[in-house]
Amino acid sequence: MAERSGKRFVTTKVEVEGREETKVVELPSRDPEPWRDDAPLTVVGCRVPRMDALEKVTGSARYTADVRRPGMLYAALFRAPVASGRVTLLDLSPALAIPGVRGALTAADVHGIRIDGVHLFDIAIHYAGQPLAAVCADSLDVAERACRAIVCEIETAAHVVTAERALEPDAPRARSFGNRARNSPRVVSRGDVDAGLRDADAVVTKEFRTPVALHTALEPHGAVAEWSGGRVTIWESTQGIFMTRNEVAKALGLRLSMVRVIKNYMGGGFGAKNGASHATYTAVALSRKLGRPVRCVLDRDGEQRDAGNRPATIQRVTLAAKRDGTLTAIRAETIVAMGIGGWHSSAAKIYHELYRCANVHTAETWVFMNTSAMASFRAPGHVEGAFGLERAMDMLAVELRIDPLELRRRNYADHDQEKGRPYSAKHLDECYRQGAERFGWHESRERAPGSGRLRRGSGMASLIWGAGGGPPAYATVRINRDGSIEVLTGAQDLGTGARTVFSQIAAEVLGARIDDVRTILGDTERLPFASNSWGSITTASVGPAVRVAAEEARDSLFEAASQMLDADVGELVARDSEIRVRDNDRSITFAALCDRLGDVMIIGQGSRGPNPDNTAIAAFGAQFAEVEVDTETGHVRVLRIVSAHDSGRIINPTLAESQLEGGIIQGLGYALHEERVLDKRLGVQLNANMHDYKIPTMADIPVIDAFFVRGSDTVANHTGAKGLAEPPIIATAPAIANAVAHALGREVSEIPLTPWRLLSR
Amino acid sequence: MRLIVNGAAHDVSAPDHETLLVTLRERLDLTGTKLVCARGECGACTVLIDGEAVYSCLTLTAACEGQTVTTIEGVARGDTLHPLQRAFIDHDALQCGFCTPGQVLTALALLAKNPHPTEEAVRQGMSGNLCRCGAYPKIVRAVLAAAGDGPAHG
Repeated sequence: MAERSGKRFVTTKVEVEGREETKVVELPSRDPEPWRDDAPLTVVGCRVPRMDALEKVTGSARYTADVRRPGMLYAALFRAPVASGRVTLLDLSPALAIPGVRGALTAADVHGIRIDGVHLFDIAIHYAGQPLAAVCADSLDVAERACRAIVCEIETAAHVVTAERALEPDAPRARSFGNRARNSPRVVSRGDVDAGLRDADAVVTKEFRTPVALHTALEPHGAVAEWSGGRVTIWESTQGIFMTRNEVAKALGLRLSMVRVIKNYMGGGFGAKNGASHATYTAVALSRKLGRPVRCVLDRDGEQRDAGNRPATIQRVTLAAKRDGTLTAIRAETIVAMGIGGWHSSAAKIYHELYRCANVHTAETWVFMNTSAMASFRAPGHVEGAFGLERAMDMLAVELRIDPLELRRRNYADHDQEKGRPYSAKHLDECYRQGAERFGWHESRERAPGSGRLRRGSGMASLIWGAGGGPPAYATVRINRDGSIEVLTGAQDLGTGARTVFSQIAAEVLGARIDDVRTILGDTERLPFASNSWGSITTASVGPAVRVAAEEARDSLFEAASQMLDADVGELVARDSEIRVRDNDRSITFAALCDRLGDVMIIGQGSRGPNPDNTAIAAFGAQFAEVEVDTETGHVRVLRIVSAHDSGRIINPTLAESQLEGGIIQGLGYALHEERVLDKRLGVQLNANMHDYKIPTMADIPVIDAFFVRGSDTVANHTGAKGLAEPPIIATAPAIANAVAHALGREVSEIPLTPWRLLSR
Repeated sequence: MRLIVNGAAHDVSAPDHETLLVTLRERLDLTGTKLVCARGECGACTVLIDGEAVYSCLTLTAACEGQTVTTIEGVARGDTLHPLQRAFIDHDALQCGFCTPGQVLTALALLAKNPHPTEEAVRQGMSGNLCRCGAYPKIVRAVLAAAGDGPAHG
């Protein structure tokens, strides 16, 4: 706990959603000793019930879509019915003539605002579902009716909605500069792949395909905006209150202090809610124009058409190995079908990370098309890439007659080969061992799939995900005069459990009862900065800042107590919100102590320090699946999944296991049912609803045994915790597909594994 | 018309085409009932009418004259949670919580008809309530736990 001296600002590297960013960070006031595995912790590591569950089970939790302001109006979006073209007439007068309609927005009202490279309400149509106008009315019912009354004439143009077609020289252009992103193909290589292929005893080559998947959060994107005195307050369903604030302020030319973004509860994000959206700008602009609060929440159709997606990929993969299984070459050409915009999430990255191999070459091409923009979706890139790589590994295992798990063990990467640096900690070997044991891997693989109608098979896959978090992140801990404690930080709880986890960390440090601690999140005006809740970073980023803030508060509390108890600070211990003098019966409760202090408020400030230099920080895991395939109907039933994870120290096992189960279930949907279906001739989506876009239901769920192997990562940060929300989804689809391949004795190369795909071969 | 919601009578004048979901949320400010799909695909808007689970997004308010509606806000008795709500908390049967009101009400109706359901009966009976966070395994456990003596066998 030494005071730092010397440099106050340093640079550090932080990996977010597979991208490594360099950040400047202010060193925290103190650098606590890491919590090692044997640290005597009493609240951290406990199964504390989710601290906002009461509001959720009683219906009193107010989500953005539930916020109602006095005089509030309702907005609805009018969307393009075709994939490409130009609006030649947009007549809003029939809509505005409907009683109860209060106003509308078109491109002229929102000049200069762009989302994913497309101007808001652009009259040039870039994809089907693109918003062309918004209408505002006394009720949502009237606003939606008014949208249907808009008269719109369109001159259609040729469109392109598949990556293969988009890459042909004569394809229609989705973007003015062409369909290939400027940096494509991005080539990343190490060693000599050709030499690796020459040295190999076995080579497998295959093309793999993954679908467009839709986030399908139950709460759609939405915002409520209200202006007052030149300031705007925005209630938003967002994973990033500060990013939303910054984007709105920039778009409208406002000072940051004039924009307040609030998020109390949100009905799921999964990566799609990371900044200002169509709904945000619509609510903000309409509210400013009409001088009344406005709620704009997407309807389900809009949410499924144009609120982000996991992009489709094509992966042409070659793996080569020696007879003993040692990988000699990995080569992958990958194509990521972005849609009209998004960011360069990489399916190729995991090919460089997961296994030890001296010769790796990937070439990745990002493609623009006339479809809605992709967005981050739980472990973006790695989910797609893991399917190709892990399927190819199983093909190689068949070729070499080596057990798939054994093949992976023989190619264990003991360091980060891409950058030639050590891992802060890696217990994937333990995941393999414990996972295989709990699954009964060897017995399961040796069992014959059967030759009848129903065939059984087992498969597995590994995962890696850079989930170390990092700065900047800030927290304040304050203690009220009755001894109740508040943790304040500008992070978000998506349903992950951040409120509970931060309260546990503060309670641990302070020696407080967990019930005395409350965590307050999600308000840019009242809380110190924390980053977006993405990339599985929140616990590892903000947790250390909460710990430092709580330590500062505890020191003040102990100083006050030492005077009142007439003892040295070093003699004091706190437990259950009471401070005792060691070897003595003198004690005082937090409540009594703080009451004596009156309105002298104990306050601690904390921040997140830099990540260790030249060190890779990642979460790891191994997943095992057993399936039953009906060879007559093509129906795949997943019977059970065992999932073993290394995410460092687990602050709350119950909430962490909930995350694992949730990720696995989303991965099961991705493997078996989920795909956006387009009419390619029209370029229009056919399943923009929750019946035809099939997410898993309660009846689809196998027996899931998801758990963590022990191991605090004390190099990563001083809480020892790493991220865990995204990792579980990475391995699920390949584990299931590998099990299906095992059951059928033939390769599968495309998901989702719908009956027609399995039977149409 | 008169609507009885959670034991209280409300006089509402909703247009004939207004759904019960809109009346509850926008007129009575009972926002625990969630709008998600608006076409009976997800179960998030489930309420009880005379004890039966219904999708309020597919129910016209005008058809509910004189009937007894129970929403999530009416499940607890004052500060005392219903055992099912308690079980949802104890088993961490929720993450974001957006589907939770619908899950609780569907489970209530299910347990009223079948006080000791098998695990399979819970899975099938509640498969119309979607949860994107994937809290399903724990929802099943919570419902079975709330059923009291545990699942019936056979």
